[in-house]
Amino acid sequence: MASKSEKISYEVAREELTKVVEQLEAGSATLEESLKLWERGEELAQICQELLDGAKAKITKDASDAI
Amino acid sequence: MLENSEEQPAPVRVVSEIIKEYIDALGPIWIEGELSQINSRRDFTYMVLRDSSVDMSISIACPSGIFNKTKVAENARIKIFAKPSWYTKNGSVSFWVREIKEVGVGELLARLEMLKNLLAAEGLFDAKRKVSLPLLPNKVGLICGRNSDAERDVLENAKRRWPAVQFETREVQVQGSDAVIQVSAALKELEADPDVDVIIITRGGGSFEDLLPFSDEGLVRLVASCKTPIVSAIGHEKDSPLLDLVADYRASTPTDAGKKVVPDLNEELQFIDALRTRAERTLTARLDRESDRIKSLFDRRIAFVHRLKLAVEDLQHLLARVRSLSPQSTLERGYAVVQRSDGKAVRKAKDVATGDSVRIRLAEDSVSATID
Repeated sequence: MASKSEKISYEVAREELTKVVEQLEAGSATLEESLKLWERGEELAQICQELLDGAKAKITKDASDAI
Repeated sequence: MLENSEEQPAPVRVVSEIIKEYIDALGPIWIEGELSQINSRRDFTYMVLRDSSVDMSISIACPSGIFNKTKVAENARIKIFAKPSWYTKNGSVSFWVREIKEVGVGELLARLEMLKNLLAAEGLFDAKRKVSLPLLPNKVGLICGRNSDAERDVLENAKRRWPAVQFETREVQVQGSDAVIQVSAALKELEADPDVDVIIITRGGGSFEDLLPFSDEGLVRLVASCKTPIVSAIGHEKDSPLLDLVADYRASTPTDAGKKVVPDLNEELQFIDALRTRAERTLTARLDRESDRIKSLFDRRIAFVHRLKLAVEDLQHLLARVRSLSPQSTLERGYAVVQRSDGKAVRKAKDVATGDSVRIRLAEDSVSATID
C-alpha cells in the first residue's frame, strides 16, 4: 500500500480518486475489494487535500525561514 | 599574400591596412535596427544600431546634415543605407550612413503579417501543439515588468483563488530594445526550472510599437520550443501579438491569466469532498446490505426453530385431545363396549340378531360372544 508521502501530482490523484469512487459505485467488487477501494479513496482524498492546502510548500518554506 | 610566421610576425599597421583594404572593398547595404546612443557632433553624428532580438550592435556614423533632416529619435526603428569602413587608428568597424529612414508602422504591420503567415504555415500556431495547463501547479513562473500593474493583477487573482500558490517571478524590461533579450533569458531560466509547471508572460496594454517585442520571431520560436505550458497575457483583449498565437493559452488580461493558472480552492475542496462522501455512502450501503443479509439468515434460522417448536406443541395438544376423547377411562370404571362384527357399537337390542357374534371390549382386553 502507498505511503502518505507518496509523490503524486494533484491531477493524477484527483483522477484516480474519481475512478476509485466510480469503481466502488459500480458495485461489482467483492466486499473485501470494496474496503480496499475505499481505503485507497480516503488516502487519495487526503493527498489532494494536502496538495490544495499547500501543506508541503509551507513546511519547506518554514524550514528555509528557520535557516 | 603576407609572409608570416612566428619568427616573422606582421606589425599592427600592416595587418590593419590589409583589413582596411578588404573592408573598404565592400559596398553599401541596407541595415535595420534600433537606434541608440546618439552622439551629435558638428560634422558627424555617431550612433549605435542595435538588433532588436539579440544582444548585438554596430557603430554607425552619419553626416550631421543628413541625420538632422530625418528627425529620428532614440529607440526608433530605422533602416540605413551604409558602407562599412575600417578605422586603422583603433581597429574598429563603423558604418558610414548615406541614407537613413524610419521604419513606419505600415511597414511593420505588413512584415508582422508576413511573419505570421510564415509561422502559421510552419504549424507553430496549430491547436495540436498546445499543451494543457496543470490543474495545480507546483510553481508558477511569471515574467513581467518591474512593479507593474500586470504583475499585481496576476498575483492577486491567483492568490484569491488559491492562497497556497507559489510564484517564481522574473521582473524584466517589457518594452524597448532590451525587452526581447530579457524576456527570452527569463523564459529560458524558468523553462529550465523543474519546479515551474506553467509560465505566464504578461504586460499591460501599450502602443503597437510597445508590444512589438512580443511578436519577435526569435521569442515566438523560443516559446514554441518550450515544454512548459506558456500563458500569454499581453495588453488588452484587442491587442494580439504573435505570442498570443503561439502560447498554449491566451489570457485576455493579466487578471484572466492569474485566474487560469490555479484552481479555485473552494471548488476543488468541494469536489474532493463530494467524491469522499460518495465513496463513504456507497461503502456504508454495501456494509448495511451485507449485515442485513447475515441478519436475515439468522432470522430465518430463528423462525425455523420457532416453527419447529410450534409444531411440537401442536402435536402434544393433539395427543392430549386424542387421549381425553378416548373411552379408556370409562372402560376402566367397569363399563364395556359391545361391537358388532362390522365394528359398530351396539346401542339397542335391535342392533343385533340371534346368532350374531359380537366383541365385548373391556378395559384390559376383549372377549367374543354370541347373541342367544
